[in-house]
Amino acid sequence: MHLKAPEHQVAGHIAKDGKPGPLVDDKGRFFKPLQGDSRGEIEVKFYESFSSNTEVPDHIRRYFPVYHGTQAVEGSDGATMIVLENLLSKYSKPSVMDVKMGSRTWYPEASEEYIQKCLRKDARSTTVSSGFRISGFEVFDHRELSFWKPDRKLLNGIKVDGVRVALRKFVSSNTLSDTSSKPDSAFASSVYGGSNGILTQLLELKTWFENQTFYHFNSCSILIIYENEAINDNGARAQVKLVDFAHVHDGNGVIDHNFLGGLCSFINFVRDILQSVDESTEN
Amino acid sequence: MLKDPEHQVAGHMAKDGRLGPLVDGEGQFFKPFQSNGRGESEDKFYKSFSSNKNVPDHIRRYFPVYHGTQVLEASNGSGKLPHIVLDDVVSSYSTPSGMDVKIGARTWYPGVSEQYFKQCLKNDRETTSVSLGFRHAGFKIFDHQESRFWIVEYKVVHRYKVDDARLALRKFVSSNSLADSLPNCAFASEVFGGSKGILAQLLELKAWFETQTLYHFNSCSVFMFYENETVLMKGGDDARAQVKLVDFTHVLDGNGVIDHNFLGGLCSFIKFIQDIHESLDKLYFVGHLTCVSPSIV
Repeated sequence: MHLKAPEHQVAGHIAKDGKPGPLVDDKGRFFKPLQGDSRGEIEVKFYESFSSNTEVPDHIRRYFPVYHGTQAVEGSDGATMIVLENLLSKYSKPSVMDVKMGSRTWYPEASEEYIQKCLRKDARSTTVSSGFRISGFEVFDHRELSFWKPDRKLLNGIKVDGVRVALRKFVSSNTLSDTSSKPDSAFASSVYGGSNGILTQLLELKTWFENQTFYHFNSCSILIIYENEAINDNGARAQVKLVDFAHVHDGNGVIDHNFLGGLCSFINFVRDILQSVDESTEN
Repeated sequence: MLKDPEHQVAGHMAKDGRLGPLVDGEGQFFKPFQSNGRGESEDKFYKSFSSNKNVPDHIRRYFPVYHGTQVLEASNGSGKLPHIVLDDVVSSYSTPSGMDVKIGARTWYPGVSEQYFKQCLKNDRETTSVSLGFRHAGFKIFDHQESRFWIVEYKVVHRYKVDDARLALRKFVSSNSLADSLPNCAFASEVFGGSKGILAQLLELKAWFETQTLYHFNSCSVFMFYENETVLMKGGDDARAQVKLVDFTHVLDGNGVIDHNFLGGLCSFIKFIQDIHESLDKLYFVGHLTCVSPSIV
């Protein structure tokens, strides 16, 4: 089994200081190390529950990575890893964005220390104001023919306007590192719009969240992926995926109003961009 | 002659010589300016809202009609105070059951003082706000067995947990004794259901909240009420159930972002109401006399 570090990870834990990071193989699988402090167990418990939950409708399963159980992987000190579908294996030049959903990342079951830490992070970012924050993204620059990532520190400090710029940059073809040129949002319609686009998928998820009381997806992210290779000929193959289930808890008969509120806000941001792009093409 | 409102269920009350709203018995409601600029803030909202052309007409019905301000003798004898003049939303109701529910998982918002933030966070965590996205602020339900009102005030509802909240909502639409722990939800259809019921109104509000970026309704309540007089009469099917948004002392500009805090809480509240309305439907199949969920029976 040939394992290597994933190429396009935009957020989350990476291999550092001898601690294992995620790995991918050449068969379309993604190996995620179990996080410490019971978070890994919670994530496994979620995947086990979700994959066998007969009440999750089929059209909603597509928004979740396929689960392949856990495995001890050699080369990482026999550490147990969660085996998942590699979400990027079918993409050759993917642009990826990680959006942490919810106006709070803490939850009642968490420790006081964790809650305070989250409160600080949530207040400093757009989480409190907008109901979500962009954890990271990587875009393919069609002029430079290379991938571009915003500076992490800059991204952490952005406000609402910065979010709008980031969402436009994410679907632009022009030079992204040049802050003086406006993002052209050339791929907004192909990525965000259309019957298979991001907006349609988010709206489908929203409907499920208005009723499902199985899980509370605390601190989960939505990953947005699309293909840059031959985008004008073959389309963007844009996909929404939910990831990071280390803090998921039972819904106990209550909907995940925190995630839902943030999701609705994010939908509005995406819709605004689509509308302004439509308006400018009409003019 | 101004007196304290008979059917107020939450908020500051004028009875016992305290500062609270007054009614004139002719359809007007006088709310005293709350201290520390909150009154000015609420008045500013009402002025803005009543003249805001971007608010669709079908949404205006969910807000009390504003009639400016008037300086009046305060209910606590402290002298003349400006009052916000509104339509008394329950003036045409003879025996209304009413319930005030504060919507949103958080009642604080960016920009508040550290002290206010800490107090709000404590309240949100101690009540059902964090877990449910809403909390009860008070209610007054007509008990058809006892022929009198069951009033539950802030101090008691503040301690409610998730199950208490669910039970209160069931009792809100029940005809059996409210002391009974198995509410029969006899009026769930008339009050919650139908094209004019509470659910339909909440869903209309929800649709507006999915796109409106004009205001953030921090710490606002949904006040829902209906007429018991008509549901008492067999065949009288118009409970005249109404939803009103109230308490606008902490409303801020939306600044291009939707009020996701209110919306999330509203969706959670809608789900609770829907569950009660739907278990009633299942009732008719199962033939039980209660609307207790199957897992408890």
